[in-house]
Amino acid sequence: MSLENIACAFPGSLREALELMSDETTRGRPIAGGTDLIVQWESGVLEMPARVVNVKNLPELKGITRSDSGVVVGAGVTHAELRNSDVIRELVPCLAEACATVGGYQMQAQGTLGGNVANASPAGDTAPSLLVADATVVVESVQGQRRIPFRDFLQGYRKIDLRPDELIVSFILQPRREGCREGFRKLGPRNAQAISKVMGSYRGHVENGKITFFAVALGSVAPTAVRLPKLEAWITGQKISPSMLEEVQSRASDEVSPIDDIRSTAEYRKWVSGRIVRGFVERLAEIQ
Amino acid sequence: MADLVAVSITVNGKLYEKAVEPRLLLSDFLRHELRLTGTHVGCEHGVCGACTILLDGKAVRSCLIFTIQATGQEILTIEGLADLVEGPAWHPLQEAFRETHGLQCGFCTPGFLMTLIPFLEENPDPTEEEIREALSGNLCRCTGYQNIVKAVRMAATALKEGAK
Repeated sequence: MSLENIACAFPGSLREALELMSDETTRGRPIAGGTDLIVQWESGVLEMPARVVNVKNLPELKGITRSDSGVVVGAGVTHAELRNSDVIRELVPCLAEACATVGGYQMQAQGTLGGNVANASPAGDTAPSLLVADATVVVESVQGQRRIPFRDFLQGYRKIDLRPDELIVSFILQPRREGCREGFRKLGPRNAQAISKVMGSYRGHVENGKITFFAVALGSVAPTAVRLPKLEAWITGQKISPSMLEEVQSRASDEVSPIDDIRSTAEYRKWVSGRIVRGFVERLAEIQ
Repeated sequence: MADLVAVSITVNGKLYEKAVEPRLLLSDFLRHELRLTGTHVGCEHGVCGACTILLDGKAVRSCLIFTIQATGQEILTIEGLADLVEGPAWHPLQEAFRETHGLQCGFCTPGFLMTLIPFLEENPDPTEEEIREALSGNLCRCTGYQNIVKAVRMAATALKEGAK
């Protein structure tokens, strides 16, 4: 075991946690499931902080509820809770599908949605689903709350719009509308426990063979997960046909800018991006 | 050295009150402080599943949690598994792994068994695909998994019959 020693704080409530975070001398790295942090600390990818603030099991960060503004998911909700939630399976099924592919059975019981987002990896599996569900991130400090569109919250490679005194408290997701279909697809070297080479989510609607609405997001193809606005604008109103599917594939490939890294190459990721998005449109075509 | 932190954790029904370093992993706490060495440590970075234990009934990797994060919670390790059934008998999962030869060297076995407890509670009649998915976070380098899957089926049947 190569972890350096640290100090820790155990707030019993969100209020207490925010108070700790408000002061430089008491603040620390928030830790919930720990599935990303401990691995990165141990391997030296991340430097260990002097202090951690344990937010695992804070009651205010739990729960999945429906409200007028959308489906509210606490930052401390685990992947297992999301994949098994009737509300999420009904209203944001692409997120339930994504959570079912995170790590393995144990990781899903441990890891949280807030942690997956705060880890801010371009390969974070929940990000594409949050993008197509037009998620809003609710962050809080002792000063009050801020609500930030998820697409703006992702600022760059491992960079999120979170101030040192703030905690992520919840996510507000827009439920799919009647008749909309959605899904998630992940490509990695193994079906479970693999970090994605490319993954994506979509939400779409078809009427009389024409696409009336289409939102699509991909991960691991840019510094952050991204929506494909050019493709979305082009596809709306298109009639689904074999030639149209070809064009969807090439347009999606062209719209992403992946890199070579240890998991895959830019060339392969571009090609797979096109195939994944084409597959989404094919699935939409099946339900006419 | 950072200050020691007092924790109170119930393991296999027994309450332990200890002072630990904040960085101490739960897997090391179980093995070194409590001498419960049935929880195995394989990869130590969240891949192999050998260190799986139940934390408040959920199967988690004890190598990815600080001991201090488990304070106030209840843990079940492989040493407590047979106590879930009455008398001197083994737990049906233990029986089934023995009967079907679902292990060879046995290093990974405690982790498999602990993962399977909540899985079979949630899903008492799993398909082969569901079994394989649930076990995707546990690596076995000996068996090729065939007999492990057989063991899970046998245990599921036994647990269902036991529940009647």
